[in-house]
Amino acid sequence: MLADHLDPMAASLFSLLVIASLLLAFVMLGSRWLKDYMLAFAAQSWLIGILSALIGYYGGYRELYWVAGFTVLFRGIVLPWLILRILRRLNTARELHEVLSTSTSLVIGAAAVIFALVVAMRITKDLGITSNVVVLALTVMFSMKLIGFLMLTLRHEAISQILGILVLENGIFLGTQILVPGMPLMIELVLLFDLLVAVACFGVLVRYLLTHIGSTSSRDLRRLTG
Amino acid sequence: MLRDVAAQIAQVLAVLLLSPLLQGFILRYEERAQRSCGPSLLQPYRDLRKLFRKQLVVPATASWVFWTAPVVAFTAMLTVPILIPVLTNYPLPLSDMGDILGGGLILTLGTFFVNLAALDSGSAYGGIGASRTVMITILAEPTLILVFVGITLMAHAMLPFVVNHLLVAEPAIYWGPTHLFLVAAFFVLLLAETDRLPIHSSTHIEVYMIEEARVLEYSGPLLALLKWSGMMKQFILYTIFCHVLLLPWGLSKLGTAMGLAGAVLAILIKFGVVACAVIGVETAQSRLRFYRYQEPLAAAFMLAVLAIVANQIR
Repeated sequence: MLADHLDPMAASLFSLLVIASLLLAFVMLGSRWLKDYMLAFAAQSWLIGILSALIGYYGGYRELYWVAGFTVLFRGIVLPWLILRILRRLNTARELHEVLSTSTSLVIGAAAVIFALVVAMRITKDLGITSNVVVLALTVMFSMKLIGFLMLTLRHEAISQILGILVLENGIFLGTQILVPGMPLMIELVLLFDLLVAVACFGVLVRYLLTHIGSTSSRDLRRLTG
Repeated sequence: MLRDVAAQIAQVLAVLLLSPLLQGFILRYEERAQRSCGPSLLQPYRDLRKLFRKQLVVPATASWVFWTAPVVAFTAMLTVPILIPVLTNYPLPLSDMGDILGGGLILTLGTFFVNLAALDSGSAYGGIGASRTVMITILAEPTLILVFVGITLMAHAMLPFVVNHLLVAEPAIYWGPTHLFLVAAFFVLLLAETDRLPIHSSTHIEVYMIEEARVLEYSGPLLALLKWSGMMKQFILYTIFCHVLLLPWGLSKLGTAMGLAGAVLAILIKFGVVACAVIGVETAQSRLRFYRYQEPLAAAFMLAVLAIVANQIR
């Protein structure tokens, strides 16, 4: 495992990028403006791209440079651009109705991080891994997944739900990059295009919702029609 | 020994003489960034010269506090540069008088005396200014203390010189999360303490007046001393930010005249970079409402806590 014998420079850079991505997930959780979510997501994707390039550098995986390039290109530029296009068409710039207030959701997010830390400590203890970077990567992976789920459940706008899925996916991607680097390039590419297709489908869905219902909030979708 | 004393004097003189230049740089290039012409780089020097020549008017209600406050503030700002690495990266004579906390104490002492003087003359604006300053200080101080605690835990020492050496010697610590989050937290503090947006307390608009309201009763040379000590405080905070946290390189190692001159040149470049970042924030950010001042400071607090946590699990 790469994370078992890292030199101190690599360890500090990895933990910096990992913690900064977690911080950006919290920015998304704490903000109400759809555009802010998108910018934070783009920044997070850039950080993850840099992280993959660094793992490629320190671990000697040549193909991770490609993965980093594709991550920055698709997650950092193309996906935010697509979402921006959808946002321009919408007439809502922010979440109007919230299930929970911003501060409450931040507190729940913090509790999720603590839960993730406990789980990660337990797993690494059972596996006999002592590396702190692994604990950190596991914690951030779990907590970003939980934060993604929180965003999916607490937000009504279709756009925030897409971004919730994307955060969830970013978390998994970040975790796998550190824990099992050197996945086949094909799988990474499939994941990236999967996301692209998901966002494109959401774009179509949003357009459909706007023409037929006039709003993209899931609050208005309560009735099943055949 | 004699050379060290000379270097120490040079440190104090550098802070004294270069601080108006920093203020002028920020004011000029902020205007430039906003597509207007901007005052000259040397305008703060001219302002100071003008104020020193003006007549001194003292309110009838003022007591001795009114007279001593500018002198105490100015002296405090002359004392702090002795304790921190301004030009040399090794301790000079009298540098061991105090550590980071000691420097923070002396910095706050000046603010405290100006607050007393604002209350002393009994004007309504002075009271508003003093109470608002104290509120911002209450919000900013816990973060400052936590940043100091973080630095101490990171370097296992409270002396700024030790931190400087550690950051130069160990790139792994420099690029670690602890250090960079401390930098981010201190940057927010720097904005708040040097009167920049999103708080920007030294404006003349009465509703927002904080810093300006405190010194409203002063005129002539005493006002010049207060303004100058404000600029020196800004310069000292930039020094701590650059030489203890962000850019620990480019200091004189031996204390020769050439080295000191090089260090001054490096200061001009480094502070220019930080000032450009500050100008960027000032241009992009709008003023917060008074009751939202805690938000950036709370974010800084959280970053400092995160830095300490990251240091503990390293």
